[in-house]
Amino acid sequence: MFLSFIRVIKFSLQDVSRNIWLSLVTVIILILALFTVNMLLTVKVIGDMAVEAIKEKIDVNLYLKPGASEDAILALKTKINNLNEVKSVEYISNAQALKNFKEKHQDNPEILEALRELNINPLTPTLVIKPENLDVFDNLINRLNALDEDIVESKNFTNYKALLEKINNITNKVTKAGIFLSAIFVMITILVIYNSVRVAIYTHRRQIIIMKLVGASNWFIQMPYLISSLIYTFFGIGAIMLIFYPFLTLLQPYLEAFFVGYNINLITFFYGNIFTIFGIQFLAAALINMFASLIAVRKYSRV
Amino acid sequence: MIRFHNVSKIYNKSGKALNKINLHVKPGEFVSIVGQSGTGKTTLVKAMIGEERVDEGKIIVGGWDITDISQREIPVLRRQIGVIFQDFKLLHKKTLFENVAFAMQVCGGKPAKVKKIVPHVMKIVGLKKKIKNYPQEVSGGEQQRAAIARALIHRPKILLADEPTGNLDSLNANEIIDLLLRINKFGTTVILVTHNREIVNNLKRRVITIDDGTIISDQAIGKYIL
Repeated sequence: MFLSFIRVIKFSLQDVSRNIWLSLVTVIILILALFTVNMLLTVKVIGDMAVEAIKEKIDVNLYLKPGASEDAILALKTKINNLNEVKSVEYISNAQALKNFKEKHQDNPEILEALRELNINPLTPTLVIKPENLDVFDNLINRLNALDEDIVESKNFTNYKALLEKINNITNKVTKAGIFLSAIFVMITILVIYNSVRVAIYTHRRQIIIMKLVGASNWFIQMPYLISSLIYTFFGIGAIMLIFYPFLTLLQPYLEAFFVGYNINLITFFYGNIFTIFGIQFLAAALINMFASLIAVRKYSRV
Repeated sequence: MIRFHNVSKIYNKSGKALNKINLHVKPGEFVSIVGQSGTGKTTLVKAMIGEERVDEGKIIVGGWDITDISQREIPVLRRQIGVIFQDFKLLHKKTLFENVAFAMQVCGGKPAKVKKIVPHVMKIVGLKKKIKNYPQEVSGGEQQRAAIARALIHRPKILLADEPTGNLDSLNANEIIDLLLRINKFGTTVILVTHNREIVNNLKRRVITIDDGTIISDQAIGKYIL
């Protein structure tokens, strides 16, 4: 049995090498299909990471008057904290705000110089409010707008929800387009693999006739073509790994420039999940390719 | 060894390829099946090796009813029946040795066994000195000898020869027939399908004559009567 298996692999390698151009075209089509699938995955990962990063940063700043008393501020903090829509409230005094500002702009001497020339602390105390979740964001804004407190100087409510919806919208559209493209490439792959096996069988027609004549089992006759489809998959996955990581390395600086201040690292994600991502892709591609081969072998090896 | 009971094969409405064939070939016999082209000889051979399904009747080979043989069982049957054809069916990219060894390899033969048996069979068919030659480098007669060696590699009880001399000159043809007679002497049942009058008349063995899918004559020591 082991010996037969070794011979099946040998015949299969012969089949791949003797039809080298056909094998090459098959693997290239497979690479295109896999590249589309991985691009789809990349878009999905970027979308999810961006949404998560923005969710982490969603808060509402309530700017208070510089002269507001500490007691009044803490009373307002407790009042807001008691709202159902609120997860936490952080009080940043004007002194703390100035310290944070200086730390943030420590590399910018012009800003620091301008601050020094002012000779006063222009920053106001702030209450930083984090919502319980994104669904209650609108309610929270309404509640805060309804607040009638003297110590509140201004309310700056960035519309994060609209931003998130925009990101989700783009991600969904790209995902749909990606699924459509992937489906087309998967179909093309099935047809190309089917045709490759058909041509390989035609090339080996005489050999198959002789094998049948001398009593080779159907398993032995058909198996090399199924193994060939596995070899195509193996080379396809190997090639996509070699192509995709440099592609990610090229993409990463652009992502970092686009999502300034957010921690979005595709390379870390793909390295961390290398076996899951490409293992699943190998299994799926192998199953699809073997399915196509099996149909071709069943149909055309009856000589 | 081989029994056909009322076997019929219909390809189309216009006529039957085989029409109620009844025949019995005993173990160790040398039988010639003769008839003109298109009379059903090849269909008979195909039915014997499970390549063609018959529409009526029963076929028994070595006590095994192969009438409704399954795809899985066909390889087992083929290892018990050696077959040779007019066009030799050799692989041109393999040497004669490799062609014969191929039959063992695809059936799971171990390398040591292949190395031992193939040269022995090549010697029997008289190709000991040509084992490294490719088919296109040897004569038609030698190619047919290689095909016979391949057919004998599984030590079959039956050797089916479908027009084995069709592509050979009379000298080579006679050598192949001599080889078949020698194989028959060792106890292998030989069924020779041919329309070569001279060969059949010289053999002085059993001759079954088929015409239009029907057996019209079955003589113990027969002659070509068509």
